[in-house]
Amino acid sequence: MPLLEKKNNKTLPWLKYGIGSVVVMILAYNSVYFRELDEVKAEASGKFDAAAFAKTFLEKQLSPKLAIAPDIDDLTTLLSTDKNKAFDAYSHATAIGNIRYFLVKGQGVITQINENDLTIQTPKQQLTLAMEFIYGNALRDASGEFDITKFTKTADINNVSSELNKLIRASVVFPFRPKAKVGDTVQFAGAIALNKEHLNLTEIEVVPASLK
Amino acid sequence: MQTTLEDQKKRLSKLQPLIALFVLCLIIGLLSDKFFTVSNFWNVLRQISVNICLSVGMTLVVLMAGIDLSVGSVLALCGAITAGLFKMGIELPSQNLYIGFTLLGASLAGVLTGALLGFFNGFVITRFKVPSFVATLAMLTVARGLTMLWTKGFPISGLGEQFAYMGTGWFLGVPVPVWISAAVVALAVFLSDNTKLGRYIYAIGGNENASLLSGININKVKIIVYTIAGALAAVGGLMVTSRLDSAQPNAGTGYELDSIAAVVIGGTSLSGGKGSIWGTVLGAIIIGVLNNGLVLLNVSPFWQQVVKGFVILLAVIIDKANSKNG
Repeated sequence: MPLLEKKNNKTLPWLKYGIGSVVVMILAYNSVYFRELDEVKAEASGKFDAAAFAKTFLEKQLSPKLAIAPDIDDLTTLLSTDKNKAFDAYSHATAIGNIRYFLVKGQGVITQINENDLTIQTPKQQLTLAMEFIYGNALRDASGEFDITKFTKTADINNVSSELNKLIRASVVFPFRPKAKVGDTVQFAGAIALNKEHLNLTEIEVVPASLK
Repeated sequence: MQTTLEDQKKRLSKLQPLIALFVLCLIIGLLSDKFFTVSNFWNVLRQISVNICLSVGMTLVVLMAGIDLSVGSVLALCGAITAGLFKMGIELPSQNLYIGFTLLGASLAGVLTGALLGFFNGFVITRFKVPSFVATLAMLTVARGLTMLWTKGFPISGLGEQFAYMGTGWFLGVPVPVWISAAVVALAVFLSDNTKLGRYIYAIGGNENASLLSGININKVKIIVYTIAGALAAVGGLMVTSRLDSAQPNAGTGYELDSIAAVVIGGTSLSGGKGSIWGTVLGAIIIGVLNNGLVLLNVSPFWQQVVKGFVILLAVIIDKANSKNG
C-alpha cells in the first residue's frame, strides 16, 4: 500500500505538469503572432487620413445637407408642439442615448459678443453661436451621412469629429469672428445637439459650419 | 435565554450592511424617480464591477491583517500594458520582427503583470518584514511611475470594438463586467470558504504567531494572497480600459480607498481574521449605490467625498462597537 501511494504521488505531478504545459502552449499559441516589422510599418504608413476624410465629408456630404436643413425657428416650434415627430424627421446620431443632432440654418442679429460665443436673436428666439470651442460630434453626426460601419477603429471615428471641428474652426470661425459686431445680421448653418429625454429649448448652441 | 439574545445580536450585526443598503436604496428611491429603473440598476452594477474585483483582493489581504494601497496604480499599469501590447505590439528592429498580441495575449500579459507586482509586494513584506502599508505605498508610486513611462503620459486609445466588449458589452442580457465580477466573487468565495488556503488566511489574520506555531507557511500564504490581489487589480484595469476604450495614465487614482471602504463597510475587520467576501460585495454595492444616489440627487462632487468619508467612518465605529459587545 505505501508503495502504491508513493507511485501515485510520483505520477500525479507529471500529469499535472503535462496538462499545465499543454494549457500554457495553447494559450501562448493564441496570444501572440509574428510578422516582419517592415511589412507592419508599410501598412501603418497607409493608415486612415482623418483630415482628408473630414474635408471631403464637409464638401461632398455635409454641405449639400446643410442647404436643405430646416430653419431653426421652424424646428424649435415643431419641437415644442410635437417632439417625437421633430426628432424622427430631423435628428441623427451614431451612438445610442438621448443626445441627438440636428442640422439647422437661420438668420439673426448679433446682440452680444462673448468670450467663447456670440449671442444672436432670431425672429423667434435667442441662441448662441459657438466661436471658441468647436467640439463634440454634432457636425459629424447631424447630417446622417456618416456611416460608422465603414470604420474598423473607434479612434478613426473620433478623429473624423476632431478634424472636422478643426477645419470649421480654421476655415469658418476664425475668418468670421474678428469682423463680427453687435447689430450685424448673420446667416448661419450648422448643427445643434438636443437631449430627447430632457429637452431644453432655452439654451440652444449652434455649432456653425457656414457663417455669412 | 441570554444565549439566545446574544445569538440574535450577532445575527443582527451580520445583517447590518444589508439593512444599511436597504435603507439607502429606500431613501434614494424616494428622492429620485430615476433610481428604481432597470437602466440605472445595470448602470450601478456595471460601475461597481471594477471596485468588486479590487475589493475581493483587498478582502483577502485585510483578512490577513494586511493592506494593499497599490491596487489603483497596479490597475492603471496593467490596463496600460494590455492596451499598449494590443494596439502596438512589440517591435524588434534588429530582428526585423514584430510581435503582435491578440486580445487574449494582451489581457493575459496585463493580468500576469498585476500578479507579478502583487508577488513583489508579498515578497518585500515577508522577506524584509516591511509593514504592508509601507511596502504597498511604495508600489503605489512605483506602478504609477511605470504607467507614466509606458504611456509617456498620454492615453492609449482607439482599441476597437473587440476590446470594448469586455467593458461595454452584454452577454445573456447582463453586462459583461458584471459576469466578470460575479466570476471573481464565486472563485474568491470558494477559495476563502472551501480551501486550505482560505482557512490559513483567516488563521493568520486571527493570530499570526499561533498560525506559525501550528505549522502554516505564513510567508507563502501572504505572497499568494498579495499575488491574487495584484492579479485582481489587473482584471479591474482591463475592465476600466475596455470601458473607456482608452488606457489613461491616471486611471485608478483613489480606487484603493473605495476598495478599502467596501471591505470595511462589508464588516471585514481591519485587524484581520474576521469578515467575508459576501460582506465586501455588499460593501461595494453600498458604495456604488451611494455614489449613484448622490449623482442622481445632483450633490456636488466635493460633498460626495465628504459624505463617503463619513459613511466609512460610521462603518468603522459600528464595527468597533460590535467587536466590543461581541
